[in-house]
Amino acid sequence: MALSEIQVKHVARLARLRVESDEIAQITQDLDRVLEYVAQLSQLDTDTVEPTMHVMGLAMPLRADEVKPSLPVDAALKNAPDPRDHMFGVPRIMDGGDA
Amino acid sequence: MRAYDMTATEISQRVHRKEMSATECVREVADRITALEPLVGAFLHLDVQGALNQARAIDALSDDERQQMPLAGVPVAVKDNMTTMDMPTTAASKILEGFMAPYNATVVNRLKAAGAIIVGKTNMDEFAMGSSTEHSAYQLTHNPWDLSRVPGGSSGGSAAAVAARMVPIALGSDTGGSIRQPASYCGVTGLKPSYGRVSRYGLIAYASSLDQIGPLARSVDDVALLYDIIAGYDPLDATSIRAETARVSEGPVDWKGLRVGVPKEYLSADLGGVVAQRLQDVITQLEAQGASVLEVSLPHTAYAIATYYLIAPAEASSNLSRFDGVRYGYRASGADLLEMYENTRAQGFGPEVKRRILLGTHALSAGYYDAYYLKAQKVRTLIRQDFEQAFALVDVILTPTTPDVAFRFGEKSSDPLQMYLSDVYTVTANLAGIPAISTPAGLADGLPVGIQWLGPVMGEDRLLQVARGFEELWPSSTWPGLGGEA
Repeated sequence: MALSEIQVKHVARLARLRVESDEIAQITQDLDRVLEYVAQLSQLDTDTVEPTMHVMGLAMPLRADEVKPSLPVDAALKNAPDPRDHMFGVPRIMDGGDA
Repeated sequence: MRAYDMTATEISQRVHRKEMSATECVREVADRITALEPLVGAFLHLDVQGALNQARAIDALSDDERQQMPLAGVPVAVKDNMTTMDMPTTAASKILEGFMAPYNATVVNRLKAAGAIIVGKTNMDEFAMGSSTEHSAYQLTHNPWDLSRVPGGSSGGSAAAVAARMVPIALGSDTGGSIRQPASYCGVTGLKPSYGRVSRYGLIAYASSLDQIGPLARSVDDVALLYDIIAGYDPLDATSIRAETARVSEGPVDWKGLRVGVPKEYLSADLGGVVAQRLQDVITQLEAQGASVLEVSLPHTAYAIATYYLIAPAEASSNLSRFDGVRYGYRASGADLLEMYENTRAQGFGPEVKRRILLGTHALSAGYYDAYYLKAQKVRTLIRQDFEQAFALVDVILTPTTPDVAFRFGEKSSDPLQMYLSDVYTVTANLAGIPAISTPAGLADGLPVGIQWLGPVMGEDRLLQVARGFEELWPSSTWPGLGGEA
């Protein structure tokens, strides 16, 4: 089941990763080799096998829904590339907004 | 004896007895690091002044307060994927260049509370993805035994720093062998605890169902000492096990009556001659001590790498989606939000990280999830059951840590799949969630050979005893001479 370059571009878009047109062939080849290798799993009949979602079978722990101190705004924004008015600034998302 | 030749156990004893101050210790260690770092390249960030300040603070405490600190004055190195408020944390990625975390990892807080002095952050493969530390965005780390060879990875900086006697102990993280394989290549001891034993709060996540933090050291006692400090329940980590962690037992194992399993599937054609021969020598030694060495079968071994290289990239693709240029880290320009995301991630991540993100995104995408991710999680169950059945018959399992000794720079980095295949003996412990330790078993042509001991889930105590017993049988008497020293 060889991967097409169109599929790789689709996956790159899903992953929010820009790939240059001159990289696509190499990336496709690398991914194909790994996918070809992992295809051996299909040899195993796993119809009656439960997937391992946790190695010890532990359930997600719950805690009481209580207000507790959290990261102060200044600390949360300390590493932000574009802090604005106690928020994270980003480029515009839709046409017509401010840049 | 110089401070850098001492184990952590020796250093803390001397500091407790006031035979040496923490400041003296850190000064000697810092001088050595400064002299050797240009050769080894173990650290992404060093803070000698900060370390001296921490040491002075330890020295200023009362005797009673110091006695309460099991690592009083002990210099320690921390892999750069664990957050530290007073040093940058980059995971060896350009996307986190200069990142100053707003909180400490739980393990970092535990080290500090125990009196340890964090001297710096160690180099690694970017986001812990790799087996040679060549995938660091910043620098190469050289194996102290042969500077033309890799230290292994991804915790290559931590293993090299310990082997070069820059620090007695270090923290690494292990998702598919990233503590044990570099420990093996650098001739030190490295433990991957059971899944959930050590809090991962503040560990930059790679593959959340596999990641675990663990200690590296030049002696089993030091590994146990550090393990004791970092293990235990942490409410800040939802995957942390609520279990008693009594101090690990002291002393070596009694070999007589110990059942040691050797999986027949691990003795395949892939195994290099020197490692196969050493494993055979070890088995002979153990039998001479009265251990019963039995052949066991782990029938799904052949599927472990395929399983691992679906699960780990799938989880990585999800975990690494947080690096989008919005809240922290590098941001590239872009005409709109989508373009900014795509440019930031294209410029911020290195090639191996991109490969795994793409592979993982594909394995999780609509139409492929069942065939890839879910299938791999089912095969994982079979691999886990293999171990459960084997541990009904034996107390520990003995394997090689790696198929061969440390390789040269560039030898495997051109072929990703070839690099993945060398993880064959280590990934199974992460898939099964069991503890595993790599211990040195001497040298072959001047390069360390490691062997691995696997135990049942939560079986760290027995594993450490076995490792201690083996260390007595097979002591590491020499450490690499560097920079013209004898």
